[in-house]
Amino acid sequence: MSILVDIQHVSKKYKDAPRAAVNDLSLTINKGDIFGLLGPNGAGKTTFISMLCGLFPTTSGEIYINGLTHKTNSKACKQVIGVVPQEIALYPKLTAWENLMFLGHMYGLGGSDLKEKVKENLTILGLEANMHQKIISYSGGMKRRVNLIAGLLHNPQLLILDEPTVGVDVQSKQAIIEHLKKLNKEKGMTILYTSHHLEEAEDFCSHIAIIDDGKLITRGATKELISSNNCNSIEEVYLKITGVKFRDK
Amino acid sequence: MKLLYSIYKEYKVLTRDRAGLAITFIMPTVLILIITLIQDTTFRSVNEASVPLLIVDRDNDSLSIALEKSLINSKFFVITKKQMTDEETKTEIAKGTYFIGVIIPENTSKKLREKSGARVTKLLNSFSGDSTETAVDTNKSNVQLFFDPITKKSFKTTVSNSFERIISQIEMQSMMSALNEKMQESFPLAKPSPLEITPIVNLKEDYASYNNSSIIPNSVQHNVPAWTLFAMFFICIPLAGNIIKERDDGSAFRLLTMPGSYMIVILGKMLTYVIVSLIQFALMLCVGVFVLPMMGMPELNIGNSLPVLFLVAFASGLAATGFGLLVGTIATSHDQASLFGAVFVIILAAIGGIWVPTFVMPEVMKKISVISPLNWGLEAFYGIFLRGSGFKEIFPEVAKLLAFFGASLGGAYLYQKYKRLK
Repeated sequence: MSILVDIQHVSKKYKDAPRAAVNDLSLTINKGDIFGLLGPNGAGKTTFISMLCGLFPTTSGEIYINGLTHKTNSKACKQVIGVVPQEIALYPKLTAWENLMFLGHMYGLGGSDLKEKVKENLTILGLEANMHQKIISYSGGMKRRVNLIAGLLHNPQLLILDEPTVGVDVQSKQAIIEHLKKLNKEKGMTILYTSHHLEEAEDFCSHIAIIDDGKLITRGATKELISSNNCNSIEEVYLKITGVKFRDK
Repeated sequence: MKLLYSIYKEYKVLTRDRAGLAITFIMPTVLILIITLIQDTTFRSVNEASVPLLIVDRDNDSLSIALEKSLINSKFFVITKKQMTDEETKTEIAKGTYFIGVIIPENTSKKLREKSGARVTKLLNSFSGDSTETAVDTNKSNVQLFFDPITKKSFKTTVSNSFERIISQIEMQSMMSALNEKMQESFPLAKPSPLEITPIVNLKEDYASYNNSSIIPNSVQHNVPAWTLFAMFFICIPLAGNIIKERDDGSAFRLLTMPGSYMIVILGKMLTYVIVSLIQFALMLCVGVFVLPMMGMPELNIGNSLPVLFLVAFASGLAATGFGLLVGTIATSHDQASLFGAVFVIILAAIGGIWVPTFVMPEVMKKISVISPLNWGLEAFYGIFLRGSGFKEIFPEVAKLLAFFGASLGGAYLYQKYKRLK
């Protein structure tokens, strides 16, 4: 399998912070992987994702996406990526249709292609009947589904999901996960997924990495990780590796 | 296309925010209407000065009648006639009921006529070699003036000079009448044409202005541009709030991960808010031109050049949105942006002469006022409304507004870069 994301000794230290948020992190994500990035609060997941998206530079090390770096070709790197933030990053007073049309245009899409793509995605995720309602009137699950569609409009090679199912009902969670699996299987879309739902991660991800204190603790294929640690689930592995100590700052 | 869609999105978001629309359009309209009405009397007192004046006329003869007529013709005074003692008159003035009290003593006209006659007789006798002394009463008749103690010295001097001029004219008329009578006695058969005693040299006054525009500043001409600018700069609060909201809800994060989109979104935001500020401006002009006259206020004269007027509005709108962007970048929460933005705009407005015009400010405040971008905008509007200024004359103010816009953008960019690298 070819490598889509290659992280080489990446560190990030904020100016006034006592320690690095990400410390000499190296890993690769292959094309077609569903890669789970797990870790306790403050482990460095958000910082890592921000650097991967090109929001701020690394202190040291390199991030390659399809062989390119943000330093030399940020535009091409960003074209590869689709992001679904943890927050509902939508305009509440606009309808789902208006939100998605706006974001589609911002990805450089337009015309009938965009309209078809928006309609198709809304239909797949069961929102066709409500697409002209304002987001403010949507339930949490409906908002999450629109939030997901917004990251898929430009058919990214790498979809970054930051807790995509947090605070949604079982039905919406099921619809989101099934749709993502389908995209991975049918379109070969690579997915980087972060979550605190370890059971969901175990079921969904082909590969998992656990980071703590900015360092990579372990990584591997999901089933291998469980067996190599003599555990029955990813949750057991996680607790075994990271401990039970609270991570309150 | 991205930019147009970004503007379209902002338009949709704005038009569905009723509270925001109310702040943007209704607030300045209400402010203009209320404050123009409240300040109208004050501006009139500065510009037209309808000074309440009390005349105690104990003469009731030609001099007092001529004096009263002259005072009425000056349109400077609101005249009340009463009979009262000197002490009562002083008390009325001291109470502030009247700014000025005039007491014309009994027989002032009669004495004037007698003195004029005696002076003319003395003059004519000196021509005929008649050295007979004509008794001329050298006691002067005193027309007494009382001023309110709060009256400024300059105003007091102006009024005293006006009274002296009016009385001199009456004295002149009296002397000419006496001379005429004496000449009639000496040449009974002559039929001389009456001597004109209208002024020979006229003093022509006009306001120095470009393009022959000569408009006296009034409450409307101050308040319409002043509160429109205030509202334009108040746009910084919804704009900053909009930026902070996008940052908090992850939209900014998402947009920043798109190739080259966030700058376009910010540009779209700014253009939308500049368009809103131009609509505000046009609306407030309509209030000044059409609504205020219906309420008995003077009509707003918008000067001679509409394009120059809108250039100033555009530059002011850019300055306001630039400031909003800076506030939105620096502030960490919506509350912080609202508080900081509102307080800062109010301070800039107070300094810049929005509430109290700079021409009535003390010298030190006049000097400080030039640091406020609202003052630059206001001065440019004054120039167009009051002095008929064109592009060349208002260019320095427009340049300052554009520089403020540039500085705000630069500040926002540098702060963002600093935060990103931190």
